[in-house]
Amino acid sequence: MNFKKKRSNSKQEIPTSSMPDIIFMLLLFFMVATTLREVDVYVKYKLPEAEAIEKIENKRLISYIWVGRSGKIQLNDNIVALEDIQDIMYKKRVELPNVIVSLRIDKESEMGVVTDIQQVLRKASTLRINYSSMLKQ
Amino acid sequence: MVQIKKKKDLEAKIPDAGMSDIVFLLLLFFLVSTTIDVDTGIGMSLPEFQEEQEFVPISKERLVTVNINKNGDVLLNGDVIAIPQISENLKDRIVSKIELPSNKKLIVSIKTDRRTNYNLYIQALDQIVLAYSEVQETYSQQFYGKGLADLTPEEKRVVIKEKVPKIISIAEPEKIN
Repeated sequence: MNFKKKRSNSKQEIPTSSMPDIIFMLLLFFMVATTLREVDVYVKYKLPEAEAIEKIENKRLISYIWVGRSGKIQLNDNIVALEDIQDIMYKKRVELPNVIVSLRIDKESEMGVVTDIQQVLRKASTLRINYSSMLKQ
Repeated sequence: MVQIKKKKDLEAKIPDAGMSDIVFLLLLFFLVSTTIDVDTGIGMSLPEFQEEQEFVPISKERLVTVNINKNGDVLLNGDVIAIPQISENLKDRIVSKIELPSNKKLIVSIKTDRRTNYNLYIQALDQIVLAYSEVQETYSQQFYGKGLADLTPEEKRVVIKEKVPKIISIAEPEKIN
């Protein structure tokens, strides 16, 4: 009796020649979707959570202000004093008239510093702000 | 006669088997180094700065004040309220003013102490914004039969700007000596 299984002679191969192409696509997606962090954040902060939040559509317009747990204020890549914000923001507004200021404020902060920043922003006429917050789970 | 050997047909090939490995490495690098920043938050517009403030009389009918003190107590029009209830409370008031002209719409004014916790302020503001968005959504459902996201730009403008505009006023902080 013949126990030998019948096998076809043809080679069995999964075509992998287009694998690099697929992976290149993935790679490209990630490269495009990535925004490498340009600034180092020197302050410690934890954002508050909220429900009715919206996405900021145009990332180019955003300018960030961080306020840390210690009450320090960081604008762009420096820790700044409250009084300096006005000049910097005013210059920024001249360059970019509809700049949005994203306020990344630690949730344990006091409102005093927030109102102060808001008053300074009003003087610099950068009126569009965004209280950065995470989506409540 | 010398036999002329026929040259064997050698296939010239660039070895590309390792290509996918290299690309995988690149991919991994990007995966690891990526932080997809989420820029989400509550958008607001600050009022313009004016040296001299004008006081515009506003009828009590259209004004709702939300006060938060440093201990975290919240007052809505003078009555103590818990933060999660603000939205429910406001909704009826907003709905009742949908058909009124724009100078009679509801204004929500939020005011805090300098020592108030920022998180509380955001929670309260969130509730106010939530109330407005929910009213906008239900209005759009009732009137157009579809959600706010599916409206045409023109319909959306009518809902957001004319019928249910979000008017939130961040009260001028009081001078503290």
